[in-house]
Amino acid sequence: MLDRILLSINKLPAFPATVQRVAELLKNEDYSVNEIVAVIKFDQAVTANILKISNSAYFGVRQKIKTIHDAVVYLGQQHLVRAIQTASISKFFTNKGYGDKASELWEHSVAVALMSQILSRQMYQQENSVLYTAALLHDVGKLVMGEYVQDASKKIFELVNNHAYSFLEAEEEVVGINHADLGGRIAEYWNFPAEIRDAIALHHRPNLIDPEGKVLISLIYLSDQFCLTMGIDGGMDGLAHRGFSEVTNKFQLRESDIEKCMLMLLEQLKQANELLRIVDK
Amino acid sequence: MADLVVGISDLKCSGQQNDVIITYALGSCIAVVIYDPMARVGGMLHFMLPDSTLDKTKAAALPGMFADTGVPLLFKSCYQLGAEKKRMIVKIAGGASILNDADYFRIGQKNITAMRKLFWKNNVLIKAEDTGKNCNRTVKLQLADGKCFVRSSGGAVEEL
Repeated sequence: MLDRILLSINKLPAFPATVQRVAELLKNEDYSVNEIVAVIKFDQAVTANILKISNSAYFGVRQKIKTIHDAVVYLGQQHLVRAIQTASISKFFTNKGYGDKASELWEHSVAVALMSQILSRQMYQQENSVLYTAALLHDVGKLVMGEYVQDASKKIFELVNNHAYSFLEAEEEVVGINHADLGGRIAEYWNFPAEIRDAIALHHRPNLIDPEGKVLISLIYLSDQFCLTMGIDGGMDGLAHRGFSEVTNKFQLRESDIEKCMLMLLEQLKQANELLRIVDK
Repeated sequence: MADLVVGISDLKCSGQQNDVIITYALGSCIAVVIYDPMARVGGMLHFMLPDSTLDKTKAAALPGMFADTGVPLLFKSCYQLGAEKKRMIVKIAGGASILNDADYFRIGQKNITAMRKLFWKNNVLIKAEDTGKNCNRTVKLQLADGKCFVRSSGGAVEEL
C-alpha cells in the first residue's frame, strides 16, 4: 500500500503557478493592475472561486467585488495573495480523506488557517502569509491517504480506540507512513519552500525540531490542536494526538489566552462563510 | 422528520414528536441533552467552555457558549414548551482531551468538572454520561421517545 501511495503523489496535478507569479509582479512597486488581472484570468479554474471569496466579510472590503479587476484593486496585496492561495488550494479538496465529505476536511483546514493568523497577531502583532499557506495545506496528506485507506482505517481506529496508539502511530503501523509526513512529500513535489514542507510534515510532532527556531511548525501545531479541541476536526482523528506542553510554555500561553483565541475563531468562521463554501462536496 | 442541527455554542429545544436534534463533532465541547418523557419535550446544548467570566459580552450574545450560562437557558427554554424540572432526564456526552500530557491545557476535563458541579448544586442527577477519552462524538436525540445516541469517531452508534 505504501508504494502505491507514494507513487500516487507523482500523479497529482501540478500546483498552480498563479500565486508565485502574482507575488513576483507585486514585488515591483510600480505594478500594473492589468498585468496581474491577466495572470489570474489565465487560471480559469480559480478565477470563479476568487470572486466568490473576495466578498467575504473576512477580507473586510466595502465595495462589491464583481470582477477580477475589482479584486486586484480593492483587496489589497496581502488579501489578494491570500484569496488566490485559498482558491488554488481548495481545488485539491476533491476527496473526503478520512471523513464523510471533502468539505469537512476543507472546513478544518480553513479553520486552522484562520486560527494561525489569530495566534500570529497575538504573539507578533502581525499576520503571516507563509504561515497561512502552510496551515491551509497542513492536512494535504490526508487527501491522498484517504483514497487508499478505506479498509485500513478500521485497523487504525482499532489501534487508537483499544490499544492507546495515537492516530499518527496507528497510521505508521498500518500504512507505513503518517499523513503529516506524506503531506511534507506532497509539498516537496509541489516545490514549496522547505519551511512550509517541514511545517506540514511535523505538524503533530513539534518536539522533533530545534526548540530555538521554526516558529512556523509550533504555530501550526497549536492552531491544529485548538481546532481539534473545538471539534472542528474534519478527519475522524478527534483528539487522539499527543500533547506537548513545551510548545504552549514556549509561547507562555495561559489557558484563558487559548480560550479567548477559540472565541475569536468562532466569530471569524462566521465571517469567512464564503471561504468555507467553495468546497461543497 | 426534521433534523434540528445544533452548532457550537448553540442550543435547540422541541416538543415536536417527529423532530430529531443532532450535534456533530464534539471535541472538548460537551452536549447536554435533557428530556421530559411526560411532556415529550427535549433539548440539546453544545457548549464550548466552562465559565462565562472569560467574556461577559460574548456570553450575553451567545449564552450557549458557556456551561454556566447555557445550561440554565436550556432548561428554561424547555420549561417554556411545557417540560418540568422534576421529570427531566439529563444525559451528557463529550469533553474529550488530548493524549497523555498532564500539563497540557485540558479544556475537556474542565468542561466535565464544571458541568457536574453545576448539576450537583442544582440537585439534578445525570442519568447517563459518555465523556472524556480522545474521540470526537456526534450526539442525537429523538423527540418521539427521548432516546439518545452517541457515535464516537471510528466507532459504531450506541444508545446513551
